[in-house]
Amino acid sequence: MRNSIGAVSLAAGVAAVAGMVLAQGLDFAGRTGQPAGVDLSGTWYPLPGQDAGLFTAAGALVDYGGIPLNEAGRLYALAWNPSRIQGRQHQCMGYVPPYAYNQPANLRFWEERDPDTQRVVALKQYWQISEGTRTIWMDGRPHPPANAPHTWSGFSTGKYEGNTLTVYTTHLKRGWIRANGMPQSDEATLVEHFVRHGDRITYLSVVNDPVYLAEPFSRTYTLMRNIKEPDDWLYSCDDGEQILGRREDQVESYPWGKHPFVREFADKNGIPLLASLGGPETMYAEILDKLKDPAAAERAADALLQPSDSAPRAAAAFDTVPADGEIHVLPVQGNVYMLAGDGGNIAVQTGDQGAMVVNTGAGRISDKVIAAIGKLSRKPIQFILNTGYQPDFTGGNANLRAAGDDPSVEGSFFSGQFADAGKGATIIGHLNVETRMLALHAPAEALPSDTFVQERRRKFHNGEAVEMLHEPNATSDGDSIVHFRRSDVIVTGEIFNTVSYPRIDTKSGGSIQGEIDALLKILDRTVYQHDEEGGTMVIPGRGRVTDEWEVAEYRDMLVIIRDRVEALIDQGATLDQVKAARVTADYETRFGATSGPWTTDRFVEAVYTSLKNPPKAGTDQ
Amino acid sequence: MNLRWARRLVPVLLMLLSARIEAQPPRAPRTAKAAALYDVTGYWMAVVTEDWRYRMITPRKGDYTGIVLNAQGRRMADAWDPAKDEAAGESCKSYGAPSLMRVPGRIHITWQDNQTLKIESDAGQQVRLLHFDGSETPGGPWQGVSKAIWELVPAGRGSRPVGSLKVVTSHLKPGYLRKNGVPYSANAVLTEYFDRVNEPNGDAYLLITTTVEDPAYLAQPFLTSSHYRKVADGSGWKPTACSAR
Repeated sequence: MRNSIGAVSLAAGVAAVAGMVLAQGLDFAGRTGQPAGVDLSGTWYPLPGQDAGLFTAAGALVDYGGIPLNEAGRLYALAWNPSRIQGRQHQCMGYVPPYAYNQPANLRFWEERDPDTQRVVALKQYWQISEGTRTIWMDGRPHPPANAPHTWSGFSTGKYEGNTLTVYTTHLKRGWIRANGMPQSDEATLVEHFVRHGDRITYLSVVNDPVYLAEPFSRTYTLMRNIKEPDDWLYSCDDGEQILGRREDQVESYPWGKHPFVREFADKNGIPLLASLGGPETMYAEILDKLKDPAAAERAADALLQPSDSAPRAAAAFDTVPADGEIHVLPVQGNVYMLAGDGGNIAVQTGDQGAMVVNTGAGRISDKVIAAIGKLSRKPIQFILNTGYQPDFTGGNANLRAAGDDPSVEGSFFSGQFADAGKGATIIGHLNVETRMLALHAPAEALPSDTFVQERRRKFHNGEAVEMLHEPNATSDGDSIVHFRRSDVIVTGEIFNTVSYPRIDTKSGGSIQGEIDALLKILDRTVYQHDEEGGTMVIPGRGRVTDEWEVAEYRDMLVIIRDRVEALIDQGATLDQVKAARVTADYETRFGATSGPWTTDRFVEAVYTSLKNPPKAGTDQ
Repeated sequence: MNLRWARRLVPVLLMLLSARIEAQPPRAPRTAKAAALYDVTGYWMAVVTEDWRYRMITPRKGDYTGIVLNAQGRRMADAWDPAKDEAAGESCKSYGAPSLMRVPGRIHITWQDNQTLKIESDAGQQVRLLHFDGSETPGGPWQGVSKAIWELVPAGRGSRPVGSLKVVTSHLKPGYLRKNGVPYSANAVLTEYFDRVNEPNGDAYLLITTTVEDPAYLAQPFLTSSHYRKVADGSGWKPTACSAR
């Protein structure tokens, strides 16, 4: 009895003090365990009055005023030809935030709470546009590693600050600032603030994009509450070829300085061209001073229509793998994992038969690679597949082979012919891989022990079909891609990466056209789950896991650069003149390098050389 | 034994604490400045990324895209004549309260006194006074009478107070919502919310959410949102006269 009275007194006392503290307006956040947020649940729609001309049609060409584009962003937009949206991979492109809010469609918010604690675990959003679902984690979980896949919605975490929901987003795909060619890169991060006033949300987004913006891009929108639940929630999209006879490697773009509509928006609206070309100064009143002298403004605008000088820029993109001497394991899909941290990416397929490993890295920390594979697979490495000869991908061959075992060879007739049959894993690669490795004096135990010369090598391993497809004359004459068909994962080796231009080795039979053809072959095999997202996953040679969207973007970039170099060659340009023209200016801040093993200059040289002297099909020069 | 003593002591201590708080002399009502939910003072620079082509460059006559005017409003907008405004000494018609916060430039916000916030603009050199005490003193001829409150968000048990600075402005002199003569009348009522948000990189933004209601010229309320970024000082402050063009 006394205990009961004591408990009641304690509860009452605490409640009284709590009430007094609240009445004095002291901050209780963090003590109750409940975030003091404003409820955003319900359905909303973006108010169309503000920036009315930008809804649906996405704005006019060369309407960049008020957007803090840097040179690369402006040149990307000036080269963008709206015909590109007819390309198959572009027809169903998803929407990234904050652009997703600038659309004439419905939007739904709801909460997901832990049923026991009633804590908000996540806020969810569904956009009618592109049927996008977004999760904003409110439980303090960390963001994924840098080499995890990017999505249209990205990875978002949120917190309440006063009457404001603040959201931080990473892992976004390359999307639009505005779908008139102004890009938002996949390196962009986003801070958003949602402030509710009755049936209205004021939304501020701040995009930080080191690739395409010179300053953070901040902007507000208004969302209005739907009092009546709307009926329209779907946005179906499926792609198909729209132009008969179009070449697979055709990607339309405008040459810089020759955009046919560069003045259309400016002239129609009485805006000086200098202002409509955007840049950070156009966000502020200071631009008005620059417009006071029309002749000077016109000269300044003309200078912005082409690369400013001949010096290439280095990428602002971050390396996706921490240089910490460790192996970083990322589950990709099905039975396939990606291992990063020792040169080129390594793929591992696991199952009852034993691990199948695609590429072996640089071999600097093979012991850690082997240990990591040992944690994924209870059976030893049975097969090693080499997608190319490059030391970044074959450097660990000897070590991983020695750590493996191929029981399918032991006891076979091979045992009688080769003393080392079955001793260690079997290494499979195209014959040209072996040839190139021999030329580099690779040790015998590192060479492919099982070579092939046909276009397609196939195996059924760990319960799924595995195909190796030779890609002649891509970065070399020995490249292959590997497709795990049930897991639906493609491993590209050197052909595709997310951190640099492709390392085309013209002396080993590589060429820009073969590289483009290889990317097209990858795109022939990928199937997206929804709006260019998910479905077939792609492990690149370097960088982060992707799906087909990033491969398509890479293809587009290489086709555009090829066409620019080709046009200059047709005009009689020398290699130095091509380099001085900065044919990669719109991609340099994403993929360029001015130092290290693969500079922009070396890439341009490889493009130029292979266009001037293309390799014979399937051979080296 | 120890637990029993502790249980008896807790309510006693709580009652003593309660009595101590209640014994304090009654406080004077807090001033608006003391009750501020957040700090809006300082120099702020307009970031013109919304309705850029209507705000940064004077639109052509008759371009009222995004504003739902009624027939009378359209007639007025179509009759815009900046030369006439200049001749009448009314070049500041697009610098009134309903449009001032959309003008490119900088603003400086200070507490004029404990119950009044003052907003000065370098563009057009306008002054707005936001009164928390019911005063009806206009800041300038184009700025009407602005009444302000710290509006708390309605919330149930357990929530701490949060809210916004809300300002309602009336008694306006007729002016323009946009520089190209899109009109508002003397009966227009402007409702604004001023919210401050802070960025992880240290930047701070002032969000201004506005609604203009004007049955004389608008077929439906005109809703906009604008924002300013905080700047360290007045070094970029550049007073300029109103321009009718």
